[in-house]
Parts: sequence; structure tokens; C-alpha cells
Amino acid sequence: MLVAQTPVAQTPAAAQKKAPVQKTALATNFKESGSPSAPITIELYTDYECPACREFYMSSLPLLINDFVHTGKVHLIHRDYPLPQHQFTKLATRYANAAGLIGKYDLVAKQIFESQPEWDQNGNIDAEVAKVLSASDMEKVRTLVKTDSALDDSVTKDQAMGVQDRLNQTPTIVIVYKGKRETIGGGMPYTILKSYLDRKLEQ
Amino acid sequence: MKRGLLIAGRVILAVIFLYAAYAKLREPWLQFAISIDSFKLVPENYLEILARTLPWCELALGIALLSGIAVRWFGLIAALLLATFFGAAVRAYAMGLTPDCGCFGAGSGDMLGPKWFAEHGAMVLLALAVSFGGFVSSRSARPAPEVTPADGRLPNPGPA
Repeated sequence: MLVAQTPVAQTPAAAQKKAPVQKTALATNFKESGSPSAPITIELYTDYECPACREFYMSSLPLLINDFVHTGKVHLIHRDYPLPQHQFTKLATRYANAAGLIGKYDLVAKQIFESQPEWDQNGNIDAEVAKVLSASDMEKVRTLVKTDSALDDSVTKDQAMGVQDRLNQTPTIVIVYKGKRETIGGGMPYTILKSYLDRKLEQ
Repeated sequence: MKRGLLIAGRVILAVIFLYAAYAKLREPWLQFAISIDSFKLVPENYLEILARTLPWCELALGIALLSGIAVRWFGLIAALLLATFFGAAVRAYAMGLTPDCGCFGAGSGDMLGPKWFAEHGAMVLLALAVSFGGFVSSRSARPAPEVTPADGRLPNPGPA
């Protein structure tokens, strides 16, 4: 689903040679999937401890990816929006983003959402993540979760975006089409989301 | 006095419907569809049509109430519409759901609870009162029917 790309360090000379990047082309990272030139961009704000986000992630998202992302119609960006009332969500977000840095974001994000009812009780996210990663990968993730001080930087940026988008709940999707941002909050049946996106693409 | 109350009630009701319509129409219809879906009452295949048409119906109803034409009937339609919303909310509440009613747009804090039921119950009563007032007003405004004897004779003027 989401393509993991490790940031490549560039020398100053290489950076100078590089052609200027168009403003509309967003940098691809492990939280993005689909073509950046797709007509619609969907920014999906979720909280790993939110049951409605879990429901959306497990029921609607796979269909959205299959019908719109894989067909080049939608560029999907996952944004983290940990809610203050959730005790373990920040830790869960760190695990997912740490996994992203080693190219396992999709696998771990899926596992964190799927096992939400388990770790929501005791906060043992580590045990749930360990079920889907190899021992060596798990060790890398643990190290990153414990030591990487920059791991929350993208979360801080996502939250700032969320404030700009006037989020008041999760999940929330922001549909960006022809430069216009539409913030739509709440879990939804996939059928109406599909219908909405189809009509947008027909315009 | 009664006439003034009827006008005030009608205008308040009209403003409620106009604001509800405006709040929904300025948002993508998908947002209102999500609100409707949160009541778990309407089948998925009807969500879109309902989300796209209901705000326009509210707008039309608001304009009709503001115009003062056929107040009794538009008041009755408003009462039925509000009572339907109220009934759906009672059902959702009884089922333990906590839908965002989306009555005045998303994020307006319209979560079901005692305050919501008090406010919306008052709206139903207001609409019923406007409709009732409209019926009473139209009856009293109607001219008295002329009395014509069935046998064609003039009424007896009484003893000369």
C-alpha cells in the first residue's frame, strides 16, 4: 500500500544539479501512497486508539486504496492526530512511525489498528508489533522508539495541519481537489465516500 | 396579541430552518450523509439522496414560513419533519448511540442528550403551535357564509 522510501542524503552539489521541484508535487514518504499527480488528494487523520479510526482503517481504507489509489485517482496521505484523551496513542504512533523508517509502516500500522482492543487495555503495543516483525526489525523499531527524538516531528506537523483544517474528531478526511480543501469528519460507509469521489472526478 | 405571537413564532421557525439549511449547504453533502448515517436508521443507498435533498427542503420550508403563505400547512409540515428527527433521535439514544445530528452543520456540538432533546422538543412544540395558530387564524379570517333559505323565501322579518 504505502511506499516506504528512506530519505536519501544529498551532497550540496547534487542538490544544486537537481531540477526545481514543482510546488504541487509533494514529497513521497512512508505515509503517502499513490501518484502525487492524482486529481484528488485525501489526507486521512487518524488516532491509533480511536475505535472509529480502526473501523475506517479496516473496512473503508482497503477499498479506497484498491478503487482509487491503485488506479491513480487518489493520492493518499496518512496524518497522525493523537487525541489527548487517549493514554497510549502517542506511543502507538511512535511505533508506527519507527516502523515506517525501516520500511514496515503499512504492516505495523495495520497491526496496531487490528490489535487495538488488546493494547488499549494494557498499553503493551510492543508485544502486538512484535507479532508481525522479525526479531531484527523489532529491535530496530524498539531502538528508534526509545532514542529517536525526531520521531514525533511529523506528528507535530500533522497536528498543526489538523488545527488549520479545523479538525474536531477522528477519523477526518481532507479532500483536496482543484486546490480546494474540504474537511469531512467522522467515520463513513465506503459506499458514500466512493459515490462522492466518483462525482468529484466526473466534474 | 395572538396575531403578533403567531408572526413571531413563524419567523423564529423560519430562521431555524433557514439556518439549518445554510449550515448544511455550505458543507460537502458527504458530511451530512455521515451525520445521517450515524443514526443507523437510513439504508446506505438512500444516504446520498437524503443528504443532497433535505437541506434544500429545509431551505424551501424556511422561505415558505417566512412568506406567511399557508402557514397552517407549512407549520404542519415543519412539525412533522421535526417530529421525525426527534423520533429518530429518541431511537438512537435508546440504542445507546451518540450520533452527531448535524442539524446545524458538522461540529456544531449537536450531540444527543437532555439539552438536545429539550431544544428540539421545544422546536416541535413551536412548529405545532404555529400550525395550530395558522388554522385558528385562517378560520377566524374566513367570511361568515350567507344564509339562504332552502325554499327560496326571504327570511321572516318578524311581526310588522
